[in-house]
Amino acid sequence: MTSIAAEGRRTRPNALSRAWAFVLRHVLTVYSLLFFLYLMLPIAVVIVFSFNHPAGRFNYTWRGFTWDNWLNWNAVPGIQSAITLSLEIALFASIVATALGTLIALALVRYGFRGRGTTNLIIFLPLSTPEIVLGASLATLFLHSASYGLSIPFGFWTILIAHIMFCISFAVVTVKARLIGFDRHLEEAAMDLGANEWTTFVKVTLPLIAPAILAALLLCFAISVDDFVVTYFNAGNQVTFPIFVWGAARVATPPQINVIGTAIFGIAVTLMLVNVFIQNRRAKQG
Amino acid sequence: MGLGFLHRHRGSTPYLLLAPGMLFLVVFFLVPLGFLAYQSLESGSIDFGYAFTWAWDNYSSAISGYGTQFKRSFVYAGIATAIALLVSYPVAYWIAFRGGRWKNLLLLCIVAPFFVTYLIRTLAWQTILSDNGLVVRTLGSLHLLGVLGQDGHILATGTAVVAGITYNFLPFMALPLYVSLEQIDHTLIEAAEDLYASKLTAFFRVTFPLSLPGVVAGTLLTFIPAAGDFINAQLLGSTTNHMIGNVINSKYNELIDYPAAAAMSFILMAIILALVLIYARAVGSEKLTG
Amino acid sequence: MTDQITRRVFLRRAAASGSILTVPGLLAACGGGKSSPGATSDTTSHQLAKTLHFSNWTLYIDNVKGGGHPSLEQFQKKYGVHVDYREDINDNPTFFSKIEPDLERGQSTGRDIIVMTDNSRYPALLVQKGWVEKLDKSAIPNIKNLVPQQRNPSWDPNREHSLPWQSGFTGIGWNEKLTDPVTSMGDLLGNKKLKGKVGLLTEFADTLALVMAYNGDDPSHVTDQTFNKAMNTIQKAVDSGQIRQFYGNDYASALSSGDLVATMAWSGDIVQLQADNSHLKWQLPVDGGDIWTDNMLIPKGGNVYTASVYMNFVYEPKIAAEIEDYVNYVCPVLGAKEALVKKDPAIANNPLIFPTKQMLDNAHVMDPTAVNNEKYQTAWQNLTSA
Repeated sequence: MTSIAAEGRRTRPNALSRAWAFVLRHVLTVYSLLFFLYLMLPIAVVIVFSFNHPAGRFNYTWRGFTWDNWLNWNAVPGIQSAITLSLEIALFASIVATALGTLIALALVRYGFRGRGTTNLIIFLPLSTPEIVLGASLATLFLHSASYGLSIPFGFWTILIAHIMFCISFAVVTVKARLIGFDRHLEEAAMDLGANEWTTFVKVTLPLIAPAILAALLLCFAISVDDFVVTYFNAGNQVTFPIFVWGAARVATPPQINVIGTAIFGIAVTLMLVNVFIQNRRAKQG
Repeated sequence: MGLGFLHRHRGSTPYLLLAPGMLFLVVFFLVPLGFLAYQSLESGSIDFGYAFTWAWDNYSSAISGYGTQFKRSFVYAGIATAIALLVSYPVAYWIAFRGGRWKNLLLLCIVAPFFVTYLIRTLAWQTILSDNGLVVRTLGSLHLLGVLGQDGHILATGTAVVAGITYNFLPFMALPLYVSLEQIDHTLIEAAEDLYASKLTAFFRVTFPLSLPGVVAGTLLTFIPAAGDFINAQLLGSTTNHMIGNVINSKYNELIDYPAAAAMSFILMAIILALVLIYARAVGSEKLTG
Repeated sequence: MTDQITRRVFLRRAAASGSILTVPGLLAACGGGKSSPGATSDTTSHQLAKTLHFSNWTLYIDNVKGGGHPSLEQFQKKYGVHVDYREDINDNPTFFSKIEPDLERGQSTGRDIIVMTDNSRYPALLVQKGWVEKLDKSAIPNIKNLVPQQRNPSWDPNREHSLPWQSGFTGIGWNEKLTDPVTSMGDLLGNKKLKGKVGLLTEFADTLALVMAYNGDDPSHVTDQTFNKAMNTIQKAVDSGQIRQFYGNDYASALSSGDLVATMAWSGDIVQLQADNSHLKWQLPVDGGDIWTDNMLIPKGGNVYTASVYMNFVYEPKIAAEIEDYVNYVCPVLGAKEALVKKDPAIANNPLIFPTKQMLDNAHVMDPTAVNNEKYQTAWQNLTSA
């Protein structure tokens, strides 16, 4: 394999191939950088316009720089309760969904059982159903709940239920991915050393899948905060932040919307950078 | 001892683990779909109430009345998916093959923009594509405005809607592509090159086919939600660009015509399911489950 | 698809299929709104509630920088009632769809006063279904200040259930920097120079009223023929690419940013928008515009006495004048103009707020039966959602 093949390769590269390699090496990089610029373009607009000083109701033309919007981020009536509600719902929904999802993932990966295919299908379906169908069907359920004795008024609980519902599938997929690549031998070793199943689970398994659970939590949180369509159908009188933005877009777009959008972006990026940093550190150590 | 210990309680443990979550999904995902089906066969109006009358005409009138919007949704979603694939594949490749220790950071760069609320991002495009904005003026001086736009504007045209959909679903395409590209065993490519394949041939014969699971996943994750989207059409398009999502939304939330909205939702799901099955057949169903 | 089902036919069908399984079905069969114990209406007590829950449109009440509403604060001081003021109404259909489930089930909507437009089907629908309370007129002596032309609307002939909040004109707004004055629908729909930069309203009554007036038909008496003629006029303009889009109140941002050059617009909006863009002008179309009224209503379960007291409060000319100073729509309260003359003569003499007889004559009220017509609504929906 060694010298003959190497020989073959050494006589191979001609000008065309070299040129192609050069182009590939640099065009791809340039292209990717342009791609990132394209991705960031609307975000840059959002951030920049959060400092805008609009003259009237709308925030579409640049008038002047001001810190006002950041200092008075809750000056717009309703915006604070909207973002608070969004964060509350996201917190509860992500915790519940991750818990339920982890249990399902454990069952799917660790055990053989009847109905495995159906289970997989039911988990996969919400991911492949358009949000508008998810929203409309849930709303229909709640609308008809009264005629079955359980009247659930639209509001906090219906939003929470909706968010948990579509987050479970994401949680399952995230945790499952980690569980599949999980080295069972560690658990075996623990059991060999005398630990029972529960202790093994708590002391060996859980810490090792913790990153995946955390990832699932964060993913569900992000998806929940950002959700509009399903929430819109099931919110009743309640206003989450995306619903607030939707309403505002039609009447008046206060810069405070950009402020909160930027803040969410900033926090998320910081968290992810920290995560990347920690992972790189761990890679260096491990 | 082996792995036997894990299956000792095979009987009830898996079901206990599954129960809470699956119950939740059954009650709040499957049952609502049932209600929706029931409602799609009702007839009536908000003034006088609804009744279950096996109203199959809801389905026929949905198709005859809104066939254009159905078609348009799939066309827009299809174009957006294709563009997203073409645009993100090179970047996913670059990160997977050239990223080195910066891989995670670069992935962050792809995902980060999408932490800004979907609606705010789309509104930003309204500003960027505005008639007096830089984009429109540049396209105008390049004489591309006639092709891409309409009467000197990009907003309120199909182009803006497709552009919005493409942008908003990019990570759904890029990430699965990256995942499958990253998992490719480089020795396979090396082997191909050892066998005198040029870099280009190696790519098309080895790399691309191995990345197909990612392509399939990305395509599905992009196309399916895009087909049902209505926000991009509402904020960036005009009434002549409305997708079936807009119609369902207005039927449900404005006209309060639940049966019609329900029927349309089911038709949408049915068509998506059909398209997915055809796609899976064409690509080979193993790729679907990867 | 959904043809008009008379109650008798409906009951027969429901009985035949044996499935009045839906709550709406039950309600329709029982004949109107039912109230559960949780939502008894408080018509007899003359006790003020601690809080008044008031849902209104955005920018529709006096406000100062920082978010306060002087008139509400005055009400609070005078009566000791805290006003929970929510600007959560963006358009009639969406808002109605939010409160409809509660009303359907006889549950309280959590609001004491809501504001809906008479050229949508909802005020009439709410009254017809018994989903609004009767006003406590004994608490509203100031009802005598209601302008005469608003005293007997066809959908609430004796003002038992409603009182106007503001009225408004629908006309044409344009950007004078980008175009010559656009003063007629013909110009708006046909002027090639405006192609792709023209907006129409999604609001059924507004757009059709103006187009019918332009066609020479009477919007207050709609026939199939006049309806179809108007729809064809609009369809032609849509097909030719003249119309950029049908807008809700988001035409405002497009107009002020320059994406729209001329559009159908509401009178009060333009006054407010001139802060964004001083080149915006507005006028009633020469062939006729339309006038609509936003009405205060008490949804079933709301506190009738407190709501009525509040309504009385805003019908005080002085208070009405305060509100009008900011809102700049058409005031329904007699005496407000006089109260404003000294404080803010510009507003007092602004015909958009205190219209002349000539303007009122040139503004039509849309035929309410047309607004309630399912066939028309569906055809309209198909046109604006094509």
